[in-house]
Amino acid sequence: MANVLVIAEARGGALKKVALEATTAARTIADASGGQVHAVLFGAPGVGAEADKLGAVGADVVHVCEHAAFEQFDAESFAATAAAAAQAVSPKAILVGGTAFGQDLAPRIGAKLGAGVAADAIDVTMDGDAIAIRHPMATGKVIATLVAAGQLAIVTVRPGAIAVGTSAKAGTVQPLAPASDPAASRVKVTKLTTGGGKLDLAEAPVVVSGGRGLKAPENFKLVEELADAFGNAAVGATRAVTDDGWRPHSDQIGQTGRQVAPSLYVAVGISGAIQHVAGMRNSKTIVAINKDKDAPIFKVADYGIVGDVFEIVPKLTEAVRAARAQR
Amino acid sequence: MSGQNVAFLLVLLGALGFFSYNVQRMAGYLRVGLPEDRTNAPGRRTWNLLTIGFAQTKILRERGAGLSHAAVFWGFLVVTAGTVEMMIQGVWPSFGFDRLLARPLWQLFMLSQELFAVVILAAVSWLLWRRLVAPPKRLQGEEIHSTEAVIILCVIATLMITIVTTGAFEYVARPATHETHFGWFRPLATALGAMLGGMSASAAHVGRDLSFWTHALLVLGFLNFLPYGKHFHVFVSLPNVWLSDTSGPGVVGAMRPMDLEAETDTFGAVDVQHLTWKNLLDGYACTECGRCTAACPANITGKPLSPRKIITDTRDRLKEKAPLVMGIPDVDGSAERLRAAPGAQAVLDERLLDDWITEAELWACTSCRACVQECPVNIDQLDIINQLRRGLVLNESRFPEEVLPAFESLETNGSPWAFSPSDRAQWAEGLDIPTMAELQARGQRPEILFWVGCMGSFDDRAKRITVAFARILQAAGIDFAILGQEETCHGDPARRLGNEYLYQVLAKGAIETLDRYEVKTIVTFCPHCFHQMGNEFPQLGGNYEVIHHSTYIERLLAADLVPLRTEHGQRLTMAYHDSCYLGRYNDVYDAPRETLRRALPVVNLVEPTRTKSRGLCCGAGGGRMWMDEKEGKRVNLERTEELVATGAETIAVACPFCMTMMNDGIAKLEAPVTVLDISEVVASQLDPSASRQAQLAGD
Amino acid sequence: MKIAVCIKRVPDMGARFKIGADGASIDETGLKFDMSDFDEWAVEAALQLAEKNAGSTVTVISLGPDAVQETIRKALAMGADAGVQLKADGVPAGGLAVAEALAAELREGGYDLILFGRVAVDTAAGITGVMVAELLGLPCATALSKLEVAGGSATGERQIEGGTESLSFPLPAVCTIDQGLVTQARYPSLKGIMAAKKKPLAVKPAALGQAGVTIAKMELPAERAAGRIVGEGADAVPELVRLLQTEAKVL
Repeated sequence: MANVLVIAEARGGALKKVALEATTAARTIADASGGQVHAVLFGAPGVGAEADKLGAVGADVVHVCEHAAFEQFDAESFAATAAAAAQAVSPKAILVGGTAFGQDLAPRIGAKLGAGVAADAIDVTMDGDAIAIRHPMATGKVIATLVAAGQLAIVTVRPGAIAVGTSAKAGTVQPLAPASDPAASRVKVTKLTTGGGKLDLAEAPVVVSGGRGLKAPENFKLVEELADAFGNAAVGATRAVTDDGWRPHSDQIGQTGRQVAPSLYVAVGISGAIQHVAGMRNSKTIVAINKDKDAPIFKVADYGIVGDVFEIVPKLTEAVRAARAQR
Repeated sequence: MSGQNVAFLLVLLGALGFFSYNVQRMAGYLRVGLPEDRTNAPGRRTWNLLTIGFAQTKILRERGAGLSHAAVFWGFLVVTAGTVEMMIQGVWPSFGFDRLLARPLWQLFMLSQELFAVVILAAVSWLLWRRLVAPPKRLQGEEIHSTEAVIILCVIATLMITIVTTGAFEYVARPATHETHFGWFRPLATALGAMLGGMSASAAHVGRDLSFWTHALLVLGFLNFLPYGKHFHVFVSLPNVWLSDTSGPGVVGAMRPMDLEAETDTFGAVDVQHLTWKNLLDGYACTECGRCTAACPANITGKPLSPRKIITDTRDRLKEKAPLVMGIPDVDGSAERLRAAPGAQAVLDERLLDDWITEAELWACTSCRACVQECPVNIDQLDIINQLRRGLVLNESRFPEEVLPAFESLETNGSPWAFSPSDRAQWAEGLDIPTMAELQARGQRPEILFWVGCMGSFDDRAKRITVAFARILQAAGIDFAILGQEETCHGDPARRLGNEYLYQVLAKGAIETLDRYEVKTIVTFCPHCFHQMGNEFPQLGGNYEVIHHSTYIERLLAADLVPLRTEHGQRLTMAYHDSCYLGRYNDVYDAPRETLRRALPVVNLVEPTRTKSRGLCCGAGGGRMWMDEKEGKRVNLERTEELVATGAETIAVACPFCMTMMNDGIAKLEAPVTVLDISEVVASQLDPSASRQAQLAGD
Repeated sequence: MKIAVCIKRVPDMGARFKIGADGASIDETGLKFDMSDFDEWAVEAALQLAEKNAGSTVTVISLGPDAVQETIRKALAMGADAGVQLKADGVPAGGLAVAEALAAELREGGYDLILFGRVAVDTAAGITGVMVAELLGLPCATALSKLEVAGGSATGERQIEGGTESLSFPLPAVCTIDQGLVTQARYPSLKGIMAAKKKPLAVKPAALGQAGVTIAKMELPAERAAGRIVGEGADAVPELVRLLQTEAKVL
């Protein structure tokens, strides 16, 4: 019988989607062995209102730990409290979202409880009586399966990898007192600035790049609009256009610029010379739009459209916007 | 001996003494630099002296100024004999070469003096007009000492005039000598003397003495001025030509070898004491003519680099620092005293790198060797640039940040491009080309190794050149193999960029692989690979016969080994762009052109204005392929415009770097011009029906 | 300041990987190894701090077989003062075993600052550094893209989803370093490489703890299918979007 503990992340009083994903995964494990899913929820007073969302995806019990200081993230207090909760629940696995929150907490809990941590899991299951965790390694080129045979495993779950389930449970709320005084925490969050930060090329899940095929710097507008349509895309450029001053040098993707490996790379009006390809060939999916069917970019692209970028890109922008609106 | 003679003797001895002191001082400064042996190959050196030195071959590359200077130079060789006679006469008035030479010979000698005096006068007048009224761009600006040039030209003019006037006054002062010392062989002095006939003898004597002393003092003054300015080249240039390594077969353009195991505080050079005495001598030899800068692709397109400035800075830095190091000749303790003077410490704290020559100048260089090619006194500007680059990289890890991925990729992937080594032979799939490993397993060895190079292995456009050349080899039935995945970069990009350490690691690895397969002959289509393996590998013990594909294909065509189509289609206008590493570095100008003509007899080959040894670089050499171009006009654009202006429909190249640069230029200009490698031209003319072709999948 | 940086030797991520014969490891034949990128930035950050605070020292520690000495020498060539190899046959998974060995080495070191890279590029886990802090009872600030040290305390910044957190904490502390803290790790000069040969590199056995998890299996993900031209002109857009949604699942 394996209980599973979930550390549910909330920011600004609202539950994060990854907390629901982690709870879903916990539910699956608990069901496989007839155990319970306990969730721990930290936040400023009032965050407890989110507890029923956790119940809706499978939490049997939600331990709500509210404190005025928990408006901000407090690694030391959260970790101490989670470890204490684990002592009570005796879980087989502790799951948390693989965000900055989870990546900070999971190892602390692991060290406190003498357990190993598996990070960035795309799948967590029970294999016999061992927790099995699958996660990508080596920039996604290898998939490893870790097992915690008979022991407690701490797991961070890759955001978006596990579909949120609908197996509702009681979600009984229980108050939980912080196991350590937040005032004694040594690392303090002094300020939280939200939004703003331009999406960094190396981290953006989608990159839309433009090359000389756009003919003039004004036409980069097309690329920016397409990136905007994706919502989470950064804009890149080839060396030819950055050398000409159309875009800043920091936007240049290639051998002498940035090297990126996003989930989706869209190359607009880019011929695909070695200089550029060397900077983006590790992207998971590559789309190329170019008027020259012999352009080398089509050799490296998964999907290509041959034609006039000025006709194709606006159409694509529309279509992407529509597709995302449906989500 | 009269009082005047005694005075003259004293002046002469004083002048010569002072001159000798200065020469000694300047020679002493050279000892600030590192030692170097320049006594090898005396035959080649002497040939250089005769051609470049005495026959002025490099100076004559520019018609007008070249001829003028050659005239002055040759003129001075002749007129100096007369000057020597005059100097002796100053002390011993009755001396004359007529005492030593048979009369007809002496008459010819005297004629030569006036003749060349006129030639020199005409030349310097033209040169003066040019300097003052219509100076070319390379003679303008702050870099050079134009005032000095103008003054010296005036001095020379005056010297030539005084040769005639001295003779003319003598004519008047000594009527007894008319029969013996004047006549057809001294036309000017005789004629001018006759015109002055009305003068009294005493006036003529005064005139003659004035003229004589003016001439002598100007000569001695000029002599002693030489060590202080660029005219020192008058003495230094001929020895500099003899001592230079920049002309001649074999090791042309090979970068200076470097022993990385040597115990040293500084790798490469950051100041004058890290250069060799020969580098420093180059500084003395510089005439500030600026032909190097005028030919420099970086300078032409607005970058801060001026090869002339590299040399004049080296010279001026040496002159500033050397006294503090060497002191005054034969004056004990002078060095310490000079160092204690105010401002001396600041001079010692400075260095050639950064305080005189900036990073921007050094990295702008494409190592095209146009500067070395043009220099009439055989200065090697590139040697100093390379040593300073080594100084930047090996001691301080300073290089443009966009170069770092290339260095890292060379270390990790054995290629400056971030591609997996396992992708190297992908171009060969389906072409049935054996690898050295496969052949060795069968106990065989091919006649030649086709070295593909990193561009040809990974760049999509260059891969088409690789395939074209492979097809030609197969059509000709050549027994060849490739290294496949065992091929790694020979390190040339790292070396050009100053990273001698990384270069030696890579080069030694490549040599090890080549030796393991006992490779003897290598053919490659990349001039950088060609130059590196053929000319520089011997420094690390790698000795192979390396042939560029243009030479190799020409040989195959000349021997009729390549089956070509007989019908040739329409006349095509083609401009061939000379690759720097093929042309200026290795003298290969004709083979690619011949190849084109043989493959396409109907071709109309047109030449751009700057062609062959004057060809403008494509901009990718010297490691610049891996650098961003942030200032001025793009070099490749400058060159592409020139090639397009010939009216050619196709630009032919023999280098994958040039291919990339020209393609980029054409795209930028949106010109309806194609760029083809010469092997692609030949491959397109392969006879499809030839039996050797039968097995190949058709194109 | 006494600064320690823990570094990891990892294979070059640009390589084509194969699974080892045991089915649970990466086949190392032909692989090139180097310091993990984030660790390089951590070393660079340490060197910059040491340059700003005269009299500081930077010690580099790495756990693994003798091959890690090459990685330590690279850090020494960059300018670190001393290196320590904690000798072990391999690097166990899960972070705990390694963290215990590192903590044992760091405990008596009297370090003001202990730096790690945010993650090691091969495992992309980011566990070890934070665990070490916990085991040593030190404050830990993770994923810093800004770090300022003054007197006995420090401030930093880190990117979180949708924002930036500003942190303050006392020293001694453990920090994990993210991209952006330094513009670039310095390239070791030949001078540095020569000097590194003479710097001290101590070899000690690693006091590994228990590994909480083990690698049961490694496999290659499904092969990337060859690309294709979806169509020509704007008419091909709907098909492309469909493929991105259903096949590539990126939309």
